[in-house]
Amino acid sequence: MIDAALIEKINSVLSEEFEVDIEKIKPEAPLMETLDLDSLDLVDMVVLIEHNFGFTVIAKDFVGIKTFNDFYHFINSRIDEKGEFPK
Amino acid sequence: MKKESSRNEWSGKSRGGALGYLSFVYIIKTFGLTAAYALLSIVVIYFIPFAPKATSSVWYFSRKILGNSRFDSLIFLYKNYFSLGVALIDKTAVASGKADEFRFEFNEPEEVKKILNDKRGAIIIGAHFGNWEVGAPFFDKYGKDMRVVMVDAEYQKIKMILEREKRVDTFKVIPISEDIFSNIFEIRDALADGAYVAIQGDRLTSIAKNETVKFMGADAQFPLGPFIMAARFGFPVVFYYAVRTGFKHYSFHFSLCPVSGVSSQNRVFEKQILEEYVKSLEKVVKIAPEQWYNYYKFWI
Repeated sequence: MIDAALIEKINSVLSEEFEVDIEKIKPEAPLMETLDLDSLDLVDMVVLIEHNFGFTVIAKDFVGIKTFNDFYHFINSRIDEKGEFPK
Repeated sequence: MKKESSRNEWSGKSRGGALGYLSFVYIIKTFGLTAAYALLSIVVIYFIPFAPKATSSVWYFSRKILGNSRFDSLIFLYKNYFSLGVALIDKTAVASGKADEFRFEFNEPEEVKKILNDKRGAIIIGAHFGNWEVGAPFFDKYGKDMRVVMVDAEYQKIKMILEREKRVDTFKVIPISEDIFSNIFEIRDALADGAYVAIQGDRLTSIAKNETVKFMGADAQFPLGPFIMAARFGFPVVFYYAVRTGFKHYSFHFSLCPVSGVSSQNRVFEKQILEEYVKSLEKVVKIAPEQWYNYYKFWI
């Protein structure tokens, strides 16, 4: 179960960074298409994760992430590994 | 700025096939550099009518951007193709161990020396101008790895030549393909390991975002990719160009980008780095405009 506060934080950060209406961010919505991301936007995504959630990502972390729900689970699992809740 | 479909982009392959390179390698080895230059002076005439796209782009540069007359533009065309040929011959000669035959002049401000001597990684942004590869072996003196970001089609050609000639190159290559996502991580990891990552800041490809900037007095499109990475990853950025200033004589120009070295999510930041790059590029292109080798419709 993912904390609602974490989902809210992720949505808020993504909406602000990629200038997308937060209402369009739904768990089943496709991540790349909704945020209109290309490969270079993923540079922003990498830095955004590192700055906001405090862990380093590698290329294979993104394999299999298709929807926002996948993304929430990825962030949540890495935070669980760290044992820290993002502020 | 999102990528829009554009005809103003590079195909990913430079003029001149691997066979052409290999022929010159053979001539340099067998008859020496002077013979290679002499052959080149004849060969380049072929390219003026038979490389129409390149000829058209050089003609536009000479007539519209530099304001040369038709006659001067014809001379400029010849000089441009000849310079490109000399650059290819010289880099081949230097890589084959003939660096002693050349004179190199270094223009390194103290702030650049400090960055290059530092243990931290740095992004080296150059251009398809002059002959940056001729200076690549000299980065060894700073004792760090050099990784050169290169479009995959170019890399495959160079790799074939290196294998055929049984040569070991002086730098490692990060080949950029259609799927650049994993390359972005390779670049970041190389920087984190303290390497230099060299990338050209002036080539549009179909996989890149671009930005329109005033360059040499007219609007031109530049890729945003190198500048986004510089802005986000937060490593110092050094602009580097190698200008041929005479027969077997090169001058290396380095300058530190004043707005680099910190990571910023602000999208204005990459544009500031790009503007600094364009200013530095303009300075060197004005020194030797015939050494500008972007053979596609660069200006809008």
